[in-house]
Amino acid sequence: MTVRSLVSRVALAALGALLVLFIVGPLLRLLFFGSPESLVEALRDPELRDSIALTVFTASTATLIAALLGVPLAYLLARRNFPGRRLVQGLIELPVVVPHPVAGIALLLFLGRRSEVGGALGQLGLEFVSHVPGIIAAMLFVSAPILVSGAREAFRSVDPQLERVARTLGDSAWDAFRRVTLPLAGRGVLAGSILAWSRSVSEFGSIVILTYNPKVASIYIFDRFTTFGLEAAVPAAVILLLVALTVLVVIRVLQPGERQ
Amino acid sequence: MIRLENLHVRVGNFDLRDITLEVPKGGYALIIGPTGSGKTTLLEAIAGHAQLRAGRVFMHDDEVTHLPPEQRGLGFVYQQYHLFPHLSVRENIGYGLRQPRGNGPRPADRVAELAGMLAIEPLLERRVRGLSGGEQQRVALARALAPKPSILLLDEPFAAVDPATRQVLRRELRELHEREGITTLQVTHDFDEALRLGDLVAVLAEGRIAQSGTPEQVFRYPNSAFVARFVGTGNVIAGTVERTETGDGPGPFRARFTGGSLVLDVVAEREGAIHAVLRPEDIVLSLTHHSGSARNHIEGRVVRLERIGPVTLVHLDVGRPLIASLTTQSVEEMGLKSGIAVIVAFKATAILLV
Repeated sequence: MTVRSLVSRVALAALGALLVLFIVGPLLRLLFFGSPESLVEALRDPELRDSIALTVFTASTATLIAALLGVPLAYLLARRNFPGRRLVQGLIELPVVVPHPVAGIALLLFLGRRSEVGGALGQLGLEFVSHVPGIIAAMLFVSAPILVSGAREAFRSVDPQLERVARTLGDSAWDAFRRVTLPLAGRGVLAGSILAWSRSVSEFGSIVILTYNPKVASIYIFDRFTTFGLEAAVPAAVILLLVALTVLVVIRVLQPGERQ
Repeated sequence: MIRLENLHVRVGNFDLRDITLEVPKGGYALIIGPTGSGKTTLLEAIAGHAQLRAGRVFMHDDEVTHLPPEQRGLGFVYQQYHLFPHLSVRENIGYGLRQPRGNGPRPADRVAELAGMLAIEPLLERRVRGLSGGEQQRVALARALAPKPSILLLDEPFAAVDPATRQVLRRELRELHEREGITTLQVTHDFDEALRLGDLVAVLAEGRIAQSGTPEQVFRYPNSAFVARFVGTGNVIAGTVERTETGDGPGPFRARFTGGSLVLDVVAEREGAIHAVLRPEDIVLSLTHHSGSARNHIEGRVVRLERIGPVTLVHLDVGRPLIASLTTQSVEEMGLKSGIAVIVAFKATAILLV
């Protein structure tokens, strides 16, 4: 190796290392800021436990709805060429670029009592603003694009010819999907769902506008921070961080592509 | 039996048109044609994967034009095999077998039978990943044959295997075809394969059937310059025909064919622009002029020799390139080598005008 290429390699590695340190540093600092005792202590607080339970429930519900509506759409986007496909694809990715408070305000206007949609749903007993469905709606709005694009890529990675082979072997279109495409895309779809779930768990900006109370974990942390200060917010923050890390590990295990 | 009537399929900007073809029950037909001629599209249309703009498809006298692929009772082996990567070899082969009600034959027995026939028993528990091309080919064939289809469609089944394996597979396929009596339609770009395997061959060019018939017929009597070039009939020369014989009664007449600097005596059936096809084995070479029945004698020069075992192809320059095929023994006895001047002779009747 020449001196020049050695120098350039070291320089590249140093630049990369800076960024990695910048990401890992604060998280490590947070993890070791509080003692394990303080974590246990924090978990004794019923308000924290409730907010975690609420977060898990709402995020799971939002993911389930996103999967139910989004997986068929992802399949269509990956496999079929229909008029307006690109438009649909663009629209579904819109929430990714919309700032979250903006999404919250839009949802508030759409689902609030004074809007026609919100009013009609309110008549049916479905209240969004300051109610649990509002949390789910906000989570669905921000996480659905992640699930759809994850599932779409998973379906796209399955050779469409395989379904054709299955058809010539006697499978109906549905059987071919169920026996071939779904098992092959399943891990990718699941990984996309978990990513969407963790996106829901981490949502703050739109929920804070739509439903401050009851509090999900992110709002609980914000509330502790503004009311009692930094130290009071740390244990809950650590717990949320641990949940996020677990999700990351699970997704890494599910995605076989990147392993050597 | 497969019968296609005036099929018209459009894929993107490509049109497959006026496809009419019949493969008799138990027959082995080959569709040959260059890349992009629509061979695979044709198979997909027969299988029911491509939407027809017009035309009808029959299988054993039943019209299947509007049936979905799973109700057509055919097997399809794709060029890239497309084995199911999430299943084992055994599961792949058994994929199309349904658990019988009552005392039908068990799927496991059929899998074992096919694995035996194709000598892939040791692979049954393996995953698909890591199988060689030839192994994948056998598994794909076994999978397609397992449900006992009465019709088998093969898309370039030997394209991705090495030449030695190809020969073995060709022989096995022919044997399987005879044993199982399946009406088979295979796509290939290799005319050699058609000569070896097929009872019937159809040459596809730009989405239409240029010619169909027995391989022998198509090879001996190509009906167009395209077919002649494609099946390797030999020398194809563009030119024009003028009548040299007086009178204009019906039937063939003596004529002069002019293609560039080349002027030949021919027997023609029409005048005008035409292609002359001259088979390499019909060309006689000699070192000196001598009389004989051949009407055409041209002076030429040997460019190079291409030895293929007992046969040698002699590449000639007669003002344009020409290829003659001689026994290697003759080439040696005549002392032919590149640069030597020769007399090129052939009979007027050996020239096919298309």
